[in-house]
Amino acid sequence: MKRWLVLVFLAANAWAADEYGFDASEFEKKPFELGGYIQLKQESLSLNRGGAFYQLGFYNEPQKETLDRTTGTLQLAGKLRLGIGTFDFRTNSELQRDQLAHDHDNSIFEAAYSIRPTPGFTLEAGKRALKWGKGYAWNPIGFVERPKDANDPQLAREGFVMADADWIFSPGGDLQTLAFTPVILPVGGDVNSDFGARNHLNPAAKLYLLYRDIDFDFAWMGRGSRPARFGMDFSTNLSSNFEMHGEWARIQRFTKPVTDSSGQVTTEIGNATSYLLGLRYLTESDTTYIAEYYHNGTGYSEQEARQFYQLVDTAFTTGNSALVQKALSLSEGSYGRSNAGTDYLYFRAQQKDGLGIVYFQPSITVMMNLQDHSYQLTPELMYTGISNLELRARLFLLQGDSGTDFGEKQVSRKVELYARYYF
Amino acid sequence: MKKLLWLVLCVVALPAAAAIDGTQILQKVDRNLEPESYESYRKLIDIQPDGSKKESVLYTMKKGRDKVVALFLSPPSDKGRVTLRLGDNMWLYIPDVGKPVRITSLQSVTGSVFNNADILRIDYTAEYNVEAAEEQKNAYLLSLKAKTGDIAYDRLKMWVDKQALVPTTIEAYAASGLLLKTLRFKDVKDFGGGIKRPATLETDSPLYKGYKSVMLWSGLKKRDFPDEIFTLNYLPRIEELRK
Repeated sequence: MKRWLVLVFLAANAWAADEYGFDASEFEKKPFELGGYIQLKQESLSLNRGGAFYQLGFYNEPQKETLDRTTGTLQLAGKLRLGIGTFDFRTNSELQRDQLAHDHDNSIFEAAYSIRPTPGFTLEAGKRALKWGKGYAWNPIGFVERPKDANDPQLAREGFVMADADWIFSPGGDLQTLAFTPVILPVGGDVNSDFGARNHLNPAAKLYLLYRDIDFDFAWMGRGSRPARFGMDFSTNLSSNFEMHGEWARIQRFTKPVTDSSGQVTTEIGNATSYLLGLRYLTESDTTYIAEYYHNGTGYSEQEARQFYQLVDTAFTTGNSALVQKALSLSEGSYGRSNAGTDYLYFRAQQKDGLGIVYFQPSITVMMNLQDHSYQLTPELMYTGISNLELRARLFLLQGDSGTDFGEKQVSRKVELYARYYF
Repeated sequence: MKKLLWLVLCVVALPAAAAIDGTQILQKVDRNLEPESYESYRKLIDIQPDGSKKESVLYTMKKGRDKVVALFLSPPSDKGRVTLRLGDNMWLYIPDVGKPVRITSLQSVTGSVFNNADILRIDYTAEYNVEAAEEQKNAYLLSLKAKTGDIAYDRLKMWVDKQALVPTTIEAYAASGLLLKTLRFKDVKDFGGGIKRPATLETDSPLYKGYKSVMLWSGLKKRDFPDEIFTLNYLPRIEELRK
């Protein structure tokens, strides 16, 4: 009996030692690394049959009240250490199916080779998603990137083919860091063809400073495929649990097509100023509040948007195919942007370890068009307690009268569930 | 008269000389725990009330008194995340997001009982003043007060092993006097290069009843780094510094 007890004690000790064992050599740097995630998403959409964007989106399609959509996503990210530099990549493959269509898409989000002759200098070329700005939901100074989806601000996005460098200096004193990032984003042939007009090199640059505990960025992009623009941002902690940030950008000679309700389009040319002011606040009970006010200088006022919605209404009521084509063409441009209005408010509250469950995060997000007072409300539940598995459920409720931003969207309600497994 | 003055001075100075110098002990604790500039690997284990565990592995670099950067190597869901601390400023870089965002010391990037201030700990002497030092049988008890209101814990009670001059237990309190968590240092190990310190840190909190978190050290060694790597622009490339 005693011998058994000794054996049990020794086994328990060995288990305890093993339980807390850790050897760093298991995590040696490898010449090639591959990871990523696989995701299955199910969406149930209640379509807004009276909405302008429903009518445009379902033109010449079978009419539907609801739509169920399943999307499978595989995202791969890897690194290959080659010679003096590193090649890294991120690919995104999607397979989507609903009652109307099935579709697939394979994209290279990023693929670039970078070298670092010194710790303070990096040179890289390839496809890169450079993200500028301090805003959570929007980034007016995101000059060299694809627009962010305010409904999923943390989602990886496809980059552009570019060459860029990065110089970092640490002068010390009040100016803790100084960094300069010049960029060349060429557009020509098939390269970056969706960025803008062809045959331009599109030089851009960003200067970053950490001065007296405040982050500052100054950004610029020269005239080329898009109009010239410049701007700045800042971010600082007012206290340990209270962060404040802002962005400001000015686009010179920005051209904006504006339609009236009869389809008469005029092109307005002028300087457009966009800005954003935001804060992030953490309470003692681990609730994080994020709030942002965004003025979109390139957007449409309530009156301008109403004229467009009236055009769509007239086009479909009269069945005038020329008007329908005109409305469709406008909706594929700046009228069809996800946030095409001029003034928005974003508010998000998220609770860490909600209901006392570790890794469970309930949250609620409101996005409101401040001019027409239409809004979108998004309650969300997320659980990350199972290793490498992320589970998320969201409900999108869009509310607005006829002729308003969220009242004319294609969808009036959406339920979204996804499971994402990282490997 | 001169003799009398000398005598008074000696009487006044003697107890001061014999008193424990808490600040000096804390400075030794800082250097015994880690060299001023070093690299290390750490495993964080979060144990839930039902016994299930979640583990993270971090590669950490520190320079000077208040520059720390930590890169997540595991699990795959967190791989490539980097946290940077410069004094009271903290940022988190998530590869998908593609840019650093400011975070606070009280948050936890791993969702564990350890918060960002524990994971990106800088020298105690950089954040705390010693208010009182008391000699006990096998330990010194240091009462520490945060230098500013931006520090994660307003007060610390630190029991320091008399022989090894490393902490054995730390109680962390909020400004209200509420006990936030207890940190227990265990398993003193020789890491080489003259570094002998606890290799295990356990913590629990009355705020997270039934939950426990453990931090394990490996590969802790002195290493000098240029200032440029402790910057936002360097965060996406931090892994290339690993050897």
